[in-house]
Amino acid sequence: MTAAATVTGAGRPRRLGRALPGALWALLLLAPAFVSLASVSFYPIVNGLYLSLTNTSLITQEQDFTGFANYAQLWGDAQFWNAWWHTMWFTFASTLLETVIGLGMALILFETFKGRGLVRAAMLVPWAMPTVVTSKMFGWLFNGQNGIVNYILLHAGLIDQNINWYGSADTAMTTIIIADVWKTTPFMALLLLTGLQTIPNSLIEAARMDGAKGWITFWYIRLPLLMPTLLIAGLFRALDAFRVFDLVYVLTGGGPADSTETLSTLSYKVLFSTLQFGYGSAVSTAMFITEGIIALVFVLVLVRQIRRAQ
Amino acid sequence: MTDMKKRPSAGSKPVVTMTPGHVTIADRRQFLIGAGMLGAAALGAGTGLGIRKARAQSRAEISFASAAFFGKETFGDLIKAFNESQDRVLVKNIELPPPSSSTEVYQGLVQQLARRNGTPDVFSQDVIWIAGFAAAGWALPLDEYFPADKRSAYFTGTLNACTYDGKLTALPWFMDSGMFYYRKDVLEKHGGKVPETWADMATVAAAAQKAGDIDFGYLWQGKQAEVLVCDAVEIITSNNSAILAPDGKSTLINQKGAVEAIQFLYDTIAKTKISPQDVLSWDEEPSRQPFTSAKAMFMRNWSYVWPIAQDGKTSQVVDKVGVAPLPAFPGGKSSACLGGYQLGVNANSKQREAAIELLTWLSSTETQRRIALNFGLAPTRPALFEDAQIKKEQPFMASLEKVFTGATARPITPAYAKVTLALQSGISKALVSGNVQAEMDALADQINKIVA
Repeated sequence: MTAAATVTGAGRPRRLGRALPGALWALLLLAPAFVSLASVSFYPIVNGLYLSLTNTSLITQEQDFTGFANYAQLWGDAQFWNAWWHTMWFTFASTLLETVIGLGMALILFETFKGRGLVRAAMLVPWAMPTVVTSKMFGWLFNGQNGIVNYILLHAGLIDQNINWYGSADTAMTTIIIADVWKTTPFMALLLLTGLQTIPNSLIEAARMDGAKGWITFWYIRLPLLMPTLLIAGLFRALDAFRVFDLVYVLTGGGPADSTETLSTLSYKVLFSTLQFGYGSAVSTAMFITEGIIALVFVLVLVRQIRRAQ
Repeated sequence: MTDMKKRPSAGSKPVVTMTPGHVTIADRRQFLIGAGMLGAAALGAGTGLGIRKARAQSRAEISFASAAFFGKETFGDLIKAFNESQDRVLVKNIELPPPSSSTEVYQGLVQQLARRNGTPDVFSQDVIWIAGFAAAGWALPLDEYFPADKRSAYFTGTLNACTYDGKLTALPWFMDSGMFYYRKDVLEKHGGKVPETWADMATVAAAAQKAGDIDFGYLWQGKQAEVLVCDAVEIITSNNSAILAPDGKSTLINQKGAVEAIQFLYDTIAKTKISPQDVLSWDEEPSRQPFTSAKAMFMRNWSYVWPIAQDGKTSQVVDKVGVAPLPAFPGGKSSACLGGYQLGVNANSKQREAAIELLTWLSSTETQRRIALNFGLAPTRPALFEDAQIKKEQPFMASLEKVFTGATARPITPAYAKVTLALQSGISKALVSGNVQAEMDALADQINKIVA
């Protein structure tokens, strides 16, 4: 390619003259996209980073550069680390459950059966609901006094007294994870279903001819071929789960005893309740860095997968 | 907005035709249309426009910002009434979000005040923002305009909440507070006397619960949220203690009085079991529901519960509910956490006299009566609780004077936003774990760092 280009370039020197305005044109046409991206994406990130190095606060009216003072404070801030661990746990547990259950759903929906179209459409309903509605709904389902979950468990003899799902530090986070799994598993199932559809049917037929049973076909043919989709879907989901806000905000407000505080709710409180924009930006930047690391891990595994496949 | 901006040019022209004192913002647009046509003629005539012109010209323009409350009328109507009542000041009403979105109201106010350009000239503020606005230098000290004799007409508790660093930086407007709801019918069976100490309350509640008359003895709000701080302020103050020392520079939260009080709250769940464990995740509404479905004997809540409890469609306890001041510890005094919106003047206002005039009018006996009747918001002037019309139309409100006398401000500190987050987290931890002293010690360390 390069050789050919040089040859034509050398052969027709006139074109070289025109190439410059051509490149300029290209830059000019790219400029709007660049400017809009820079203003809505790049500038806020840089400004957020800068704010995190200041003591900006609307209340005290300070706005001085303080270097890494906010990060030093963050390092010793037990509330931050508490929220960090909760967020990591939430991300890990919800992504794992959603991937496993989503995969199961995708495998079922991939098979041909009567009314499949209807089921596929119905499955997406939880995902289409606003999260605040889901939150309110789960608030009632898991209500400690009148919730149907307690009612069923009590009558099935699984518990001997009502469980206070949101009022106990032991169960509050689990309940929020359950709500998230209910809501987002369909999204995973849908992504994985499209992945399943890209696997050539001939491979599976060939395996069947060789006498492979369902489990073997899944384990040696479908799963390896589905791996890239699985990882990308997992990456999306993990990054999304990491910034969980509405479920926590509506259901528990971070309590009881900070047991459901996540980084998003913490940074909201610091930024908008106490109006400490400097320290709040440091919390947000820490979130940004952690998300970057999560994404990096996923991408590294993904690259290894693709290399191995080649 | 546009009307107001155009005003100066209009004002300098054809004021002849207008009767001062009857121009409202709504009229202005029509007036301006006429103004353009009349302008030339008026300039041509040139002479003898007289006193009326001078007075109209000098009408000071100011703005008023408040969270939007609704009732039989709106605050916009109130401002309109003020504009029509005199011809010296013309007020533009800036409507902020409703009080249910108080974080947004707070942000809106902070952003405007931080600009220091004098807008809004007058504003209303939640009691917990007063110290912060005063410390930032945004709120004008009002001492010279409202000397001691004028102040004595207000509840002491609200005046305390309006005072920062020895200066009055806000003027009381309307209020609410925590109060003690009880079931008259159940209480009748168990002695009939409204308990005045926490211990009595717990004994009666436990007895009624044991007898099977109700499911829950006492309901309160333990969710990690602002309301938990209110519940804590009440019980701690009723034990002769406080969250902050009088100088506001250190905390008393790990002292004996406060620890005893929080321990009592913990015991209602773990020891006396008069409260379900669910209160740890309940704020106002979840705790109100069992009470109005006749499942509970006592409850701490705000005044909004009363109309719901008296509505046969939503309540099973119509005419069976009484309200009293909250109990206290032996030797302590009943305390009620103060809520409500108070008035402030922007320190950077360019129309100070006009702002004070509006402020005085808004907080006057007349206007407070109007707000009580049309919005159902309780006055901050004790005298109005004896007012015949309020007694007739808002009998419940009129009965609250005794409750409001115990109104106590939440910690008065410019760092309140940080302090409340620490309190919510620390008290919630104590209520969950039961290690009250240890958690209060840890909390005290945190708060001392914030307020020192």
